[in-house]
Amino acid sequence: MELSNLTIAEAKAKLVAKEISATDLVSDCVKQIEAHDEEVHAFLEVFKDDAFAQARIVDKKRTAGEELPELAGIPIGIKDNLLMAGKRATAGAQILEHHTAAYDATVVKRLKDAGAVLMGRLNMDDAAMGSSTETSHFGPTKNPWDLSRVPGGSSGGPAASTASRCVLGAFGTDTGGSIRQPASLCGVVGMKPTYGRVSRYGMIALSSSLDQIGPFARTVEDAATLLRIIEGRDEMDATSSYLDETTLAEFLKFEDVKGLRIGVPKEYFIDGMEAEVEKRVREVIALLESHGAEISEVSLPRTNVALEAYYIIQPAEASSNLARYDGMRYGLRATGESLADTYKITRGEGFGREVKRSIMTGTFVLSAGYVDAYYKKALAVRQLIREDFDKVLKSVDVILTPTSPTTAWPLGDKMNDPIKMYLADIFTVSVNLAGLPGISIPCGFANGLPVGFQLIGKAFDEATLFRVGHFYQSITEWHKASPWDK
Amino acid sequence: MNKIVVDIDHLADLARLELTDEEKATIAPQLESILAYVGKLAEVDTSEVSPAAYITEAKNVFRADDIKECDPEIRARAVEAFPKKVGSALSVPGIFEERTE
Repeated sequence: MELSNLTIAEAKAKLVAKEISATDLVSDCVKQIEAHDEEVHAFLEVFKDDAFAQARIVDKKRTAGEELPELAGIPIGIKDNLLMAGKRATAGAQILEHHTAAYDATVVKRLKDAGAVLMGRLNMDDAAMGSSTETSHFGPTKNPWDLSRVPGGSSGGPAASTASRCVLGAFGTDTGGSIRQPASLCGVVGMKPTYGRVSRYGMIALSSSLDQIGPFARTVEDAATLLRIIEGRDEMDATSSYLDETTLAEFLKFEDVKGLRIGVPKEYFIDGMEAEVEKRVREVIALLESHGAEISEVSLPRTNVALEAYYIIQPAEASSNLARYDGMRYGLRATGESLADTYKITRGEGFGREVKRSIMTGTFVLSAGYVDAYYKKALAVRQLIREDFDKVLKSVDVILTPTSPTTAWPLGDKMNDPIKMYLADIFTVSVNLAGLPGISIPCGFANGLPVGFQLIGKAFDEATLFRVGHFYQSITEWHKASPWDK
Repeated sequence: MNKIVVDIDHLADLARLELTDEEKATIAPQLESILAYVGKLAEVDTSEVSPAAYITEAKNVFRADDIKECDPEIRARAVEAFPKKVGSALSVPGIFEERTE
């Protein structure tokens, strides 16, 4: 328990000083998983033997005095839509229930090269469609702060495992808020990088123009450490970007926020948001202002149509991406009388309800007669949303908002009302549509449940988000709270 | 925007998706309410903007079309994942219903 409570930075320091071994660290994480994960259900599979084997390799090398890479011995969890060669990869979907990944995602390869100990596969909504992790074919994940509530989603497993001290950090994917929203609901840090900062090679795609892979951690410093390992150009993903060399020190070099211009968009404080959530976020703004930040109200006028544009573009791209699950090359294959029947039966059996609804929506908005009124219209609105952000980010350095309008809700509460579920992402989807970086950082509690605030920055300016976030954590203690200390 | 009536069977055909009667009964009204919801976009004036399919400034990338060997382990796992195979070849249903040989 004690060691799994460490941040990555703390664990690294102790490992390097040989105060602890990687085996000790993995052993405490495994104990923590055994104590809590039966209830929380963040893991779909724990790689216990592999994890100990990797830890022993690191320990042996350290004892021999070999130079070790940056994450040597650090226990990390992986969302189950990121491929790990030879391991199952289900994306929370029945159609991939028995699928074994043939190769490593670039992110996974870079983590392995950095010496990380991969602890297991983490739960998620069916094909990453959902905001609560309840649509997983393998059953829901619970929120460690209140086991009767959802952890958010779709990266509920990564968020819950990081919050419950079963791993020191994790990786998830964010298409409309799937990293930031569960991070907020579980009281951890979660970042969606700028579109193109991280290679998507080996990620089971949901919506290719919106998807990004990003880190979960308990501190901003750790999130920055994790992002640095996975980011940068990869020839296997043509949309991945060439980046200037960055160092962690550069990411975190703020000592205060004097003169930093923070924009607060009035459209992000809406009717229907929980009063206590708004209070916590207003407290963050006041605190940063008292440390010299210049706060100004800004306007992102198309916020009120972002969700609508998102729920056209995302299903449209998803319906195309999921066309590959036809039972031919991998996954389940049913047998029908004709080839068309084989496709239909295979897909009918293999996809869950949420996914079917999304495929149908996507098919509709792309179908002849409707594509202009829906899909192309949504792309035009997307352009306007991006222009809104460009304009605001010329006058401020960073935008500060709530991450989610509510705290974690009871399991089952929104399952039969898709639009109610969609509203959980109202503060996060715009960032994906505009391709910008966003980070959620814990800022206290409302009725015992974690609240997060979101920072949104200019494209490829993750550094400013990290600096502000790191400064905030250096003057507050919220990120130290553990669900097991209650 | 007028209320959209969804032809659920036609759409399921287009999507190559078999739905049970119970699923159709649930999904059809949900789809109609989603379409009514996203239909709000019609009110936004987009006459002056060009649609943004991608939001980055990235340009197309070219490389030589060189054939590279596949890692034998990756190849073995990919073959292992085939739902049906003959030796190491993927077996798929025929695509023509009648043959004239």
